[in-house]
Amino acid sequence: MNSKIFSLILGVLSVILFWIGWVSFNPSDEKAMARFVSVENLVNNKISSRIKLGGIVKNGSIEISKSNQLECFFVLKEGSAELAVNYSKTRPDLFKDGAEVIVTGEYRDGVFVADELQTKCASRYEGDLREESNYKLEELET
Amino acid sequence: MTPVAGGVALNLALGCSVLSIITLIAYNRTLDHRLFLAGQRLGLAISFFVFISTFILGYQLFVSNFDIDYVARYTSYETPNIFKISALWAGQSGSLLFWLFILSIFNTVTIIQNQDRHLNLMPWVIITMSVIQLFFLILTNFITNPFEPTQADFVVQNGNGLNPLLQNITMAIHPPTLYLGYVGFSVPFAFAFSALVNKDIGALWIRSIRRWTLVSWLFLSIGIILGGWWAYQELGWGGYWAWDPVENASFMPWLTATAFLHSIIVQEKKDMLRVWNMVLIILTFSLCIFGTFLTRSGVMSSVHSFTESSLGPVFLSFVFIILASSFGLMFSRMTVLKSPRKIESVSSRESGFLFNNLIFVVMCFGVFWGTLFPVITEWFNGDKISVGPPFFNQINTPIGLALLALTGIGPMLAWKGTSNNKLIQNFALPIAFGLLGAIIFVFLGFTTYTIISFSLCIFVVIAISSEFIKGVKVRKSKFNETIFLSLYKMIEKNRSRYGGYIVHLGIVLMFVGFTGHAFDKEKEFGIQVGQIESVANYNFQLTRMYEEERPNHYAWITDLRVSDAAGNFITSLRPEKRVYFHKNPDINKRQPHSELDIYSTMNKDIYSIFSSVSSDNSIAFIKIMINPLVKWVWIGGYILAFGTLIALWPRKD
Amino acid sequence: MDFLANHIFTIIIFVAPLIYSIQPLLLSKINVINNAYDKDLLKRKKIILYRQIKELEMEFDIGNLNKDDFLLRRSEIKAEVSEIIASIKKK
Repeated sequence: MNSKIFSLILGVLSVILFWIGWVSFNPSDEKAMARFVSVENLVNNKISSRIKLGGIVKNGSIEISKSNQLECFFVLKEGSAELAVNYSKTRPDLFKDGAEVIVTGEYRDGVFVADELQTKCASRYEGDLREESNYKLEELET
Repeated sequence: MTPVAGGVALNLALGCSVLSIITLIAYNRTLDHRLFLAGQRLGLAISFFVFISTFILGYQLFVSNFDIDYVARYTSYETPNIFKISALWAGQSGSLLFWLFILSIFNTVTIIQNQDRHLNLMPWVIITMSVIQLFFLILTNFITNPFEPTQADFVVQNGNGLNPLLQNITMAIHPPTLYLGYVGFSVPFAFAFSALVNKDIGALWIRSIRRWTLVSWLFLSIGIILGGWWAYQELGWGGYWAWDPVENASFMPWLTATAFLHSIIVQEKKDMLRVWNMVLIILTFSLCIFGTFLTRSGVMSSVHSFTESSLGPVFLSFVFIILASSFGLMFSRMTVLKSPRKIESVSSRESGFLFNNLIFVVMCFGVFWGTLFPVITEWFNGDKISVGPPFFNQINTPIGLALLALTGIGPMLAWKGTSNNKLIQNFALPIAFGLLGAIIFVFLGFTTYTIISFSLCIFVVIAISSEFIKGVKVRKSKFNETIFLSLYKMIEKNRSRYGGYIVHLGIVLMFVGFTGHAFDKEKEFGIQVGQIESVANYNFQLTRMYEEERPNHYAWITDLRVSDAAGNFITSLRPEKRVYFHKNPDINKRQPHSELDIYSTMNKDIYSIFSSVSSDNSIAFIKIMINPLVKWVWIGGYILAFGTLIALWPRKD
Repeated sequence: MDFLANHIFTIIIFVAPLIYSIQPLLLSKINVINNAYDKDLLKRKKIILYRQIKELEMEFDIGNLNKDDFLLRRSEIKAEVSEIIASIKKK
């Protein structure tokens, strides 16, 4: 390989690698990155950067605003730590009491304002097998 | 046959794979042809037993034998027959068996096809393939056995059923096509490995694996596109690509495989880049295994990953073994591999290929970096930082555009070096058209990347067309044919080259579609019957909302009348909100599902999702997205497949 | 005995491939005649080289190859072809 091509290769390689490194430190979109934090850590330290939280939707905690159905509050539980979450976009189909969710957003004055909400697969499809008593006959017929 | 037979077949396959490896190694020592024959037949026997166990599992799924844990977990009596079969690849252990099944098909074809060809290479080809089979056999025998009996202290009356999201034809065929691609690369890899062992640097085996590579590449491409199409039609977030770890897992081997497809041309024609080709095929195959691991292990939270499992360490060790053994072998063969020829000029075709390769590989590294970013950051400072689509888009947009530019530049460069005159002559027209387009787009007020992307698309289309025109002109004057005949003859005589150009055209159209993403608009709103809401110059009137009970679900249906700013009727959209298993007394086991509706035209899609309904059934909550140019991604996909088929079409000698 | 009778089909399916695989080991030594194989290999090489010449001519006609390079490559391939033809004739 002649030296001109070789230096050109090195040049292209270093430019692209530098670009990847640069974006990794300064992404242009603030939503490009999020830190995974535990609920407990967040509540204790009041971290203000963009955050990803994982946990379970506390049973009976989902409150949907009467005036705007998109507006929704619920309590996220991780272990014993709890946190109020506000989410006001289209909710995924699997979002319900007891669902395992990952929310992304920011912590503001005691409430976590999420702009992304992902649910894990429905319990039914990965869960335990059901006993006969759990069935209604009509369910089998369909 | 009984499920026990399935387990026994897996055991026998495992035994055969060990025996086949031993006999063939013994053959290499003694060169006793009896050993080779035995090893070859044992290789076929492995596949035979894998077929048997796959058919048994398929049959058990079909007859709903809930005594098998896998059957009980992924199907139920209500599951339609076709999805009972597709449940074969819905869960972890089944899908690993299915991987093995496809691998066994490929191995059988390879062994039979090469009974009297590549005699020097075949022993090690079969050994390599048997080792890969052995790995998957260890997984299915000892770690996640699909024939595991149900562990319950009650009689399972009905299974859990298949996730409704997966009950979709596209979703039934998307994993197999992806697997055909993933698995297919094991054949070129086996040949490359064997060539390294045998110090064979001839062009003959490169020729014969080119077809395998192309077939696998086609399946991988179709698998990726189908996955995107399914996400777009079913998941309801309005996009087709989310840079999800599982999507990345299929994209990474695609990138290196594409690089490989280009660089073997250079090896075939100029006998250069031998080492580099080895690197690429090793990387591609390792990434295929790594991809299977990402999909199946659940290390990353993602829509696709099933459950957390003990597969991680096993898979990673296997990837490590592949990388260590093949690269180790490669370095020990360095003196043989080194090509005597050198690239002489920057403006040569071969250097064009080299840079295209370089960018593909670096792009793959970028995707790899982003996918493992949480792991990397956690490793460095204990903070797990995940990156989302904006990160990948920012990194890959300029790299992708550079690749797009090379798609046009490469074909216009001559082998060994292009004279300046020729450069000007070749590039003048495409550049002129590209610039003209750029000026128009600036006036239209597009963003920088959009202008660059569209102008490059024009540049590449003109460049490729002029390649076609040049070729036709030459044939016309040489053979005195009509335009159409010479176009046909030209493609027919040079299938891989012009098939390749058609693939490039498909890629350009896909880029047009990707660029359309920059103009996306969306709005979420609540609406009552009779009200009108407007989004980006379109008016949406809710004319009706009604409920319906259907065989396996309950549905709320909205009727949206879509009209343009002037009030002209465009279409009616009927997105639905469904609840599957609505008769289940346990409310948590009912499964809501939004069935979206899309109005698709060449220049834009109107995408509607019915997300929820107020408790008194008076307000419907709707999300509307206007996604320009999405259709071009699918059209580009068709053209890509068409071009690959042309390149693949066998020719008579 | 009942077990055997009931599962005779299954057993045959499982045992037959094993016997088939082991069978070559029971034969007396096989001498492979490599001649035919070698000839086939050479013929395939010849076809590939012919194709390469055609492709080369096409590339040259379109203008993707300069004259010196074209002539050099063509003479190289032609030399290779005549070598192969000579060794095919020998066999």
